Amino acid sequence: MNLWPVAAVTFKEGIRNRAIYGISLFALLFLVASQLVSGMIMQDVGKVVVDMALSTVSFSGLLLVLFVGINLMAKDLDRRTIYMVLSRPISRSQYLFGKFLGMALLIITTVALVGFFAVAAIVLTKLRFPNFFGQFTWWLVFLSIAYTTLSLILLTALSFLFASLVSTSFITLVLTICSYLIGHAISDVKALVETPQAVGIQVAPLTVKLVQGAYYFFPNLSLFDIKTQAAHGLAVPLASICWTVVYGLGYTAIVMILASLIFSKREFP
Amino acid sequence: MIQIESVSKMFKEGFRGRKVQALQDLALSVAQGEVFGFLGPNGAGKSTTIKILINLIFPDTGQASINGLDVRDKETRRHVGYLPENPYFYDYLTAEELLWFGGRAAGLSSRLVRERSETLLHKVDLYNARKRPLRTYSKGMVQRAGLALALIHDPQVVILDEPMSGLDPIGRKMVGDLIVELKGEGKTVFFSSHILADIERFCDRYGIIVSGRLRRVERVEELLASQLTLEQVFLDEVEKASEGVMS
Repeated sequence: MNLWPVAAVTFKEGIRNRAIYGISLFALLFLVASQLVSGMIMQDVGKVVVDMALSTVSFSGLLLVLFVGINLMAKDLDRRTIYMVLSRPISRSQYLFGKFLGMALLIITTVALVGFFAVAAIVLTKLRFPNFFGQFTWWLVFLSIAYTTLSLILLTALSFLFASLVSTSFITLVLTICSYLIGHAISDVKALVETPQAVGIQVAPLTVKLVQGAYYFFPNLSLFDIKTQAAHGLAVPLASICWTVVYGLGYTAIVMILASLIFSKREFP
Repeated sequence: MIQIESVSKMFKEGFRGRKVQALQDLALSVAQGEVFGFLGPNGAGKSTTIKILINLIFPDTGQASINGLDVRDKETRRHVGYLPENPYFYDYLTAEELLWFGGRAAGLSSRLVRERSETLLHKVDLYNARKRPLRTYSKGMVQRAGLALALIHDPQVVILDEPMSGLDPIGRKMVGDLIVELKGEGKTVFFSSHILADIERFCDRYGIIVSGRLRRVERVEELLASQLTLEQVFLDEVEKASEGVMS
């Protein structure tokens, strides 16, 4: 498939976008702040810094997907830059997969950059307060960053599906944010409505069915959130890692295939 | 060559989905090596026809082909160069990168892309600006970058939608010279324009489209022999269309 030219221009267009500098600067400032905070609390310093550093990585990535990724696709459709791509021997599906590949490269690059800052912040704190890093393992930090990358790629695929379905980028943005929020909460909500007696509430059977339906429809993004395990140095079983990776890649593939089927029918008047 | 057979296209507009007939039973063929000018008032269906040829939109009925291949086949576009009306390109790419994209996407080798890119950038007078991001370009420069992009893969068929729009007299002369050069190389050129003098100057044949219907196709020589000006013919066709008279 002729994906590389589309992926390359998407990556170049994205990496030169000023929003990337803003996101990187935000991450840097947040990590500097984590250094100041760690000097003040003198309690569970290791856990706080690891949690702050990994949260910075995932929040920066989220900003990247929402404000650079969606914009890259939206500009193509709104300003008709897509004409320059589709007037080549490139099908609509190839365009979509090429764009996705470029965006995935952009996510990996940005997460690597912000992840480097995060690791630097943890290293500095570890050097200053080695006593608070008893349970700490680097493996979990890197696994958490890799999980974040995978969940951002999945979220990008979802935003591509929405962009294929609707005509305005604002609706794509809203739907992507909703999916992100639902994706993070759905696992807990399902557990709650399935065992309401545990917290002494009553839930209608229809609500249970709706939540169960949503659980299988929306991505379970909480699977990719192991910040707490990383902060507390709790082991993550290998089987769980394999399942999460397969789930992330599988969900992304299904969403992208669906998006490309819809997109290949779309006209650009 | 370009072949359009009985193509109709309807759009839905607004919240109520009001139907607008953009093209009605359009049939047209342009031979290899011919320069064809497509003339019509705003909203007549010129860009719709061109977008069907590039497969950006799909006809409701009928079909179109280029060099014998249905336009829905992406391979058709390996031999087609297209300049959209008011082209927009990626803000942060340079002209050099834009041409790299166009050439590589059409399957050209990196070496060939470099060679053709250099030649074309000189031709459209953007060589000195080749490393500047496209967002710093003037409208005319963007148009010229678009022309270079349309020609980077040395296409057999060149489709230009209002190629003169936004260009100063020097830019218009450059486009005119390019069309003549393409004709000399035996390429098929299909272009839409509002500028009647350009049609008279560069085209072998022209067609007038009004309200989605092709009302007249004739050779420019025939027009010149008839002692009528293109302006008279054009206004006459628009008037007849508004009165509901068929050509």
